[in-house]
Amino acid sequence: MPMRSALKKLQPLIALVVMLVAMTLLSDKFLTIANQRNILLQISVNLCLSIGMTLIILTGGIDLSVGAILAFAGAFAAGLLKHGLVLKYFGVVLQFTPFGAMVAGIVVGLGLGLFNGMAITRFKLPPFVATLGMLSIARGLTLLWTGGFPVTDLGPQFGFIGAGFWLGVPMAVWISAALVILFYVVSKHTTLGRYIYAVGGNERATAFSGINVDRIKLWVYALGGALAAVAGLLVTARLDAADPKAGLGYELDSIAAVVIGGTSLSGGRGSILGTVLGCLIIGVLNNGLFLLDVSPFWQQVVKGFVILAAVAADKLGARKE
Amino acid sequence: MKRAVQSVLALAAFTLICRLFPLFHVVSLKQATAEQVAATFNATQFAENFWTNQLPAATGKAVKAEVLVPAIQADPAAAKKNFARRVGLSEGYFYFVSGHGRVLAVSDDEIALAVTDGGTNAEVTLQAGLVFGNALRDGTGLLNASDYPNSQDFNDISAALNHIVETRVLPKLHEQAKVGASISFTGCAEVDDEAVDLKPLKVVPIQNAMER
Repeated sequence: MPMRSALKKLQPLIALVVMLVAMTLLSDKFLTIANQRNILLQISVNLCLSIGMTLIILTGGIDLSVGAILAFAGAFAAGLLKHGLVLKYFGVVLQFTPFGAMVAGIVVGLGLGLFNGMAITRFKLPPFVATLGMLSIARGLTLLWTGGFPVTDLGPQFGFIGAGFWLGVPMAVWISAALVILFYVVSKHTTLGRYIYAVGGNERATAFSGINVDRIKLWVYALGGALAAVAGLLVTARLDAADPKAGLGYELDSIAAVVIGGTSLSGGRGSILGTVLGCLIIGVLNNGLFLLDVSPFWQQVVKGFVILAAVAADKLGARKE
Repeated sequence: MKRAVQSVLALAAFTLICRLFPLFHVVSLKQATAEQVAATFNATQFAENFWTNQLPAATGKAVKAEVLVPAIQADPAAAKKNFARRVGLSEGYFYFVSGHGRVLAVSDDEIALAVTDGGTNAEVTLQAGLVFGNALRDGTGLLNASDYPNSQDFNDISAALNHIVETRVLPKLHEQAKVGASISFTGCAEVDDEAVDLKPLKVVPIQNAMER
C-alpha cells in the first residue's frame, strides 16, 4: 500500500518526465534555453492563479472568478497609473506611482476575494454560485472602469515586473517562484496551512474541534483574490496594456493545473508542489503542441482529455484507498 | 498586549515602506489637467511639421515611375524586392514613387496617367477622392511604428496626413488634370492585393505640378 501511495503522489512528476522526454524527441527546438525560458514565462501567470486555487480547493471549495479578478485588478492598477484618481470634491488628483498602482491592484483583488469569502461563509452560498456571481461582477467592473478600451502605455517601471529580466530569468518567473516558496511554507509549516487541510479533510470535525472554519475560508478566498491580482499585474505589465478581456478562461487552466497536480477536488489532499507540476505539465503540453504545429483547436481537445484523465485517476485512486 | 505590539509594528513597517516607496503624489486638479493636455499627442501638429519639414527633403528618394512601372509589368515579385517597403509582419507593402505622365482620364475619384513612352493604357492612377489607408504614413519610410508606443497616436498621424492631402493637394490636382495634359507627381502606393492595386498602380499624391 505505501508503494501504491508513493506512486500516486509521483504521478504528476512521472507524467511531466514522460512529456519532457517525448517533446525532446519530437522537436529539436523544445530543449533550447530560449524555449525553456519561454515555458517558464508562460506558466508564471497560471502559477500565481493556481497557488490560490490550490488553497481554495484544499478547503473543498472552488473559485470561478479568478480570471475576472485578474482582469479587474490589472485594469484598476493600469487606470490608476495612467490617469490617477480624481477627487473632485477636494480639487486634487492622486497620481499613483507604479508601486502604488501595484499595491492598489493587489488590495482590490484581496477585497474581491474577501467578498467571495463573505458570500460563502456569511450567506452560505455554494462556492460555485458565489464565485460565478463574482465572475460577472468583476468583468462588469472591468468594463466600467476601462470603458471597454485597453489602457496602454504604462511605462517601463511598471512593465519591468512582467517583461523585465534579472540574472537572465524573467521577473515574472522570479515573482511566481517566490510565491510558490512562500505558500509552500504557509501550507506545510504554519497553523493556517494545517487548518486549510483540516477544513477540506473534514469540515464538521474541524469545526467541532474549535477551529473557526469560516475565518479560514475567508482568508483562503481573500488570498485567492490577491494572487489573482498579482497574476493580473504580471499580464498587464508584460503586455504594457490592461485588456478588459484579459484572463478569459484562465480559471479553467488554473483548476486544471491544480487537479492535474494531484489536488483532490473534494478537498483535504494535495500540495502546492503538485500544482507547480500541474502548471508545468499544461505549459509543456501547450508549448509542445505548438512546436509540433498542432492546431490550437486540437490543443483544446487534448487539454480537455488530460484534465479528464487526471480527475479519473484521482477518483480511481480514492476508490481503491 | 502582544497583538497590539504586533499591530503597531506592522503599521510602522507599512508607514516606512510607504515613505521609502510613495504610493501616490497629490497634485491639484488644475495642474494635473494642464500636464495631461501637454502630454497629449497632437497628431495634427505632428503631421503639419512632418509635411512641411521632413517630407519635402525625402521626395528625392522616391523611385522613378518610368523605372518602377515597367519593372512591375515585367516581374511584380522582382519589383517588390527591389523597390518596395514592407512594414512589420504585414503581407502588404508600399512604393514611394515620383514621375510624370500624360493624363488619360479624369474622374472625381482618380486621375489616370500613362507614364511610359508611348503608353496608351492607364499605368498609374492618382487617388483624387477621399484618402484612406496608411500609404502616406508608411510609404515614405520616414516614420516608424516602434517610435509610437501608443498605436492610436500612430493611427492619428495617418488620418492627419490623409486630411492634408485631401485639403491641399487634391484641389490643385483637380484644377490641373485635364485630359492630354502632362503632370508631374510624387506619392505613395499601398499594395494589399497585387491583382487590384498594381494594375494600374494606385498612388496617393503628395505633390503634383502642371508641366508645360
